[in-house]
Amino acid sequence: MAALGTARCLFQSFYRVKDVQRIRKTLLKCNARTFCDETSVKGGAKPRFTDAAVQDILTRITGLDLQKVFRPIKQEMKPPTYKLMTDEQLEQAIQFATEEAKKQLQMPPVLPERKPIDDVLAVDKILDGMDTAKYVFTDITYSIPHRERFIVVREPDGTLRKATWEERDRLVQVYFPKLGRKLMPHVLFKEENLKIVFSQDRHEDVLNLCLVQFEPGSADYIRVHEATYEDLEKNGKYNLLRSTRHFGGLAWYLVNARRVDGLIADMLRRDMLQDAISLVSLFHMVHPHSESAQEATSQQAAGTDLLKIYSQKESQRSGYIELALQAYEEKAAEGSAS
Amino acid sequence: MNSRAKHRKEKTVTIIWCFIMVHLSSHLLKRYHNGYVVIRLALAGHKQANRPFYRIVAAHNKRSRDGKYIEQLGSFDPLPNIYNEKLVGFNFDRIKYWIGCGAHLTKPVAKLLGLSGFFPLHPMTVTEAERRRAQAKLAETAAGTEDPQQEEQKQADV
Repeated sequence: MAALGTARCLFQSFYRVKDVQRIRKTLLKCNARTFCDETSVKGGAKPRFTDAAVQDILTRITGLDLQKVFRPIKQEMKPPTYKLMTDEQLEQAIQFATEEAKKQLQMPPVLPERKPIDDVLAVDKILDGMDTAKYVFTDITYSIPHRERFIVVREPDGTLRKATWEERDRLVQVYFPKLGRKLMPHVLFKEENLKIVFSQDRHEDVLNLCLVQFEPGSADYIRVHEATYEDLEKNGKYNLLRSTRHFGGLAWYLVNARRVDGLIADMLRRDMLQDAISLVSLFHMVHPHSESAQEATSQQAAGTDLLKIYSQKESQRSGYIELALQAYEEKAAEGSAS
Repeated sequence: MNSRAKHRKEKTVTIIWCFIMVHLSSHLLKRYHNGYVVIRLALAGHKQANRPFYRIVAAHNKRSRDGKYIEQLGSFDPLPNIYNEKLVGFNFDRIKYWIGCGAHLTKPVAKLLGLSGFFPLHPMTVTEAERRRAQAKLAETAAGTEDPQQEEQKQADV
């Protein structure tokens, strides 16, 4: 009966996820393209977001809660389907669902802010005053990637310049519309409205909307992501993003800003010791010249020792981390004793 | 019986004739009518009053302006949008192909291509700009002479 129940639950949620996957697929297509651009790092250089080791740690910390990934999303009402399965078939279904969840948890790219374009192609003073409006010329050839498309603007005073990033995004959306993207960004992305949405705990929705609307690397994308991460850090609501595709980005941002204490404390509170250790090792990877990293390499520490070194050297909330570690060790001792 | 058979024969003959004619039409167009392919603007608004929108199109010369075209190569919106831009899209790859095939260009299309930087500037664009500047200057001097006159009147009234 229990098996039936879980099978029904799984298939209900899986069935309802089908339409959303179409939108997610377009997201994945967009993200997969830029994802493959970065190549692996050379030895000794600063580890980037796309390195295999970094990605490995981030996927591990993100976790894989099937119930959360496939939770019911607002969709067209359809009657649920029920399937009768043997235990083997149920295991296969769970495996399939895990693979689908992994695909859905693929992390969106983290790129540095793109530099503004200001290239003037020609200055024709003889054309000054030719018209009151600008002319924007876009190359509509289908087979060029959007980044390499020629979009030029002829100003009324005669200068021919390349279009700015905002103009480019808008015009590419006009001629090659993407599902879910709007020409004018949603009112949600203004500061005041973001605050309201954060108070309603809808950080994940904001980040999903941001991913669809803006290009990764645009100023708005980075601004919205930073605002969301700051708010989560301030209120300690890390669990909202756990088991979603945005958790990796959150962890990367905090590690780069050296403010991992809150996250480690949250993990220890939820008894996720392995995750905390992976996070500290990631921190050491990204900041190899910090005191705790050097201590750790000199002592060849692993496991809870890493956490102890980190709490002594680096963290501001060392008291809490040490207490939590003690509690964990006591529990482990009790467990082994009994 | 005979008439029916004759009718059927005529029908087949006309069908074969039409078939041949369709395939020979482009060649006939070239030699007989001296037709050629043009890249020009075709109005695309479906007769919406006061809202023009042009398609940049490769069509046979003798076809009507908004009629059947060979290929659409872009669009042009002559009314500026909220950002004060007139949007023009060009499929440069296909335009290069058609120019390579010997297509002619009309004046508006040549002007637009000149403005975009794909072609050198059309001389009429320069002339139009000069004319507009002259007009603007005239309007300024006219406004200039009017203002002192108005001020004199106001002073007289007061």
